[in-house]
Amino acid sequence: MSPALDVAARAAGGRIRAALAARYRDLDLAEEAFAEACVRAAARWPIDGEPRDPAAWLYRASERIALDSLRQRKVRREAPSDAPPAQQTAEDAMVSDERLIPDERLRLIFVCCHPAIAAEARAALTLRLVCGLETGEIARAFLVAETTLAQRLVRAKRKIADAGVPFEIHGPDAWPDRLDAVLSTLEIAYAKAHEDAAGAGQHAGYAAEMLTLSATLSELLPREPEALAFAALVRFAEARRPARLAEDGAMVPLSDQDPALWRRPLIDQGEGYLTRAIAAGGGGPRVLQAAIHGAWCARSSLNDPPPWPDVLHLYDALLTRRDDVVVRLNRAVALAEVASPAAALAEVEALPSEPLKSFAPYHAVRADLLRRTGQITAAASALQEALALSPAPAERIWLERRLFELKA
Amino acid sequence: MTMQYALLIYEDEAVSGKETASPAYKALVDRHWAFSGELRASGVQTAGAGLKNASSATTVRLNKGAHSVHDGPFAESKEQLGGFYIVNAEDLDEAIALAKRVPLTEGGSVEVRPLLGMG
Repeated sequence: MSPALDVAARAAGGRIRAALAARYRDLDLAEEAFAEACVRAAARWPIDGEPRDPAAWLYRASERIALDSLRQRKVRREAPSDAPPAQQTAEDAMVSDERLIPDERLRLIFVCCHPAIAAEARAALTLRLVCGLETGEIARAFLVAETTLAQRLVRAKRKIADAGVPFEIHGPDAWPDRLDAVLSTLEIAYAKAHEDAAGAGQHAGYAAEMLTLSATLSELLPREPEALAFAALVRFAEARRPARLAEDGAMVPLSDQDPALWRRPLIDQGEGYLTRAIAAGGGGPRVLQAAIHGAWCARSSLNDPPPWPDVLHLYDALLTRRDDVVVRLNRAVALAEVASPAAALAEVEALPSEPLKSFAPYHAVRADLLRRTGQITAAASALQEALALSPAPAERIWLERRLFELKA
Repeated sequence: MTMQYALLIYEDEAVSGKETASPAYKALVDRHWAFSGELRASGVQTAGAGLKNASSATTVRLNKGAHSVHDGPFAESKEQLGGFYIVNAEDLDEAIALAKRVPLTEGGSVEVRPLLGMG
């Protein structure tokens, strides 16, 4: 693939697939037509020269291929489209792709993240169709076999077609629920990329796609506080990536990370999104979560006091919006610094251990609070419970070192 | 007095061939046509339809007063099939909205499945 084709395919692929999918209500057709257009471009451009507007060329070609394919399949149903198919005119050469290709990416994201699609397929489908990631790349990011992921995508696409998942976004009353489903899908997907502190190649690339996708969503929904907050959160979290690993490969807790290592441009972008989310009237759970990340990212050096009081206030506010055990656990960490380790330990011990006992950070937090209240034996066994959950290498090294220090 | 009965069909899609639209499935459809022709001729059938594959199903569940939407058919545990509605809807969202209005007891589910031959 020539560099120009590669750039155009990456930059405009999502829009082209989305426009075709919205017109023909057929995800496979959209995907195959765009792929075939890229094949033809790879053959034609070296001979004809690169088109002035590569994206527009690809869109035109995809359109024609899709129509030919529909004719061949003879499955054209009455009125499957919103608009008549694009006709090539003399003016096309003058029109930029921005105006030529209708932006249907939001519709496509909503289709891919529909609640009736299997939860484990939604993010994969979004990354495939909207971001253009290869099946193999997505499979590695989700740590599943490529064939498994390919099957999930096929099943999800068939479900969308067979069950009549609409390509329309219904009235405003349906809107908050659907946007929440989209953001939850992306959050889960991003958590997978983020939990790998080491940021091995594939995960790092995948996290970069989440930066792009969250920016796209904010661009398409410029007044939705929760969408803006998600874009802010991804930026704050990615900004800290260079500081998350110590030289020996152990994870570095947030309060010990050196702010000098954080990526300032991403933090600035995150602050921009967070400011817009708050200005748009946001007090929702994602805005509060982004604000917690923002409070940390406002630290400019390890000499600055950690923002524990602000963080505690924000967790208090978050609890009124999203009361779950992980939020309570995180709040307890702040409470230990602002009030006392004993007060925090009392809160943690009151949490139901059933969902938490398979969550390594729960045992790590308990271990820290037990140690600080002088219960060394109990602290050591809590660390051992965390290690028994076979955490990722960075977490394991950190836990083992805590355990070593306790015994010393 | 004449009663009315629903004849509910359960079968393995892999065996019936529905999954692959195989010749076996086409033969089965022909047998259904013949059977429903006999029923209509004898005046005993009022309605009937085939359903799309179970893979096209969506289940709406009522838990603690809130509805949730899930991919896939209803997985039988202690609930039993209690009735059915056939509704017209523009798309799956409209069908799900109607399913959420079906009176249900706590823990109950409504499986939403498109009929065959309806697009």
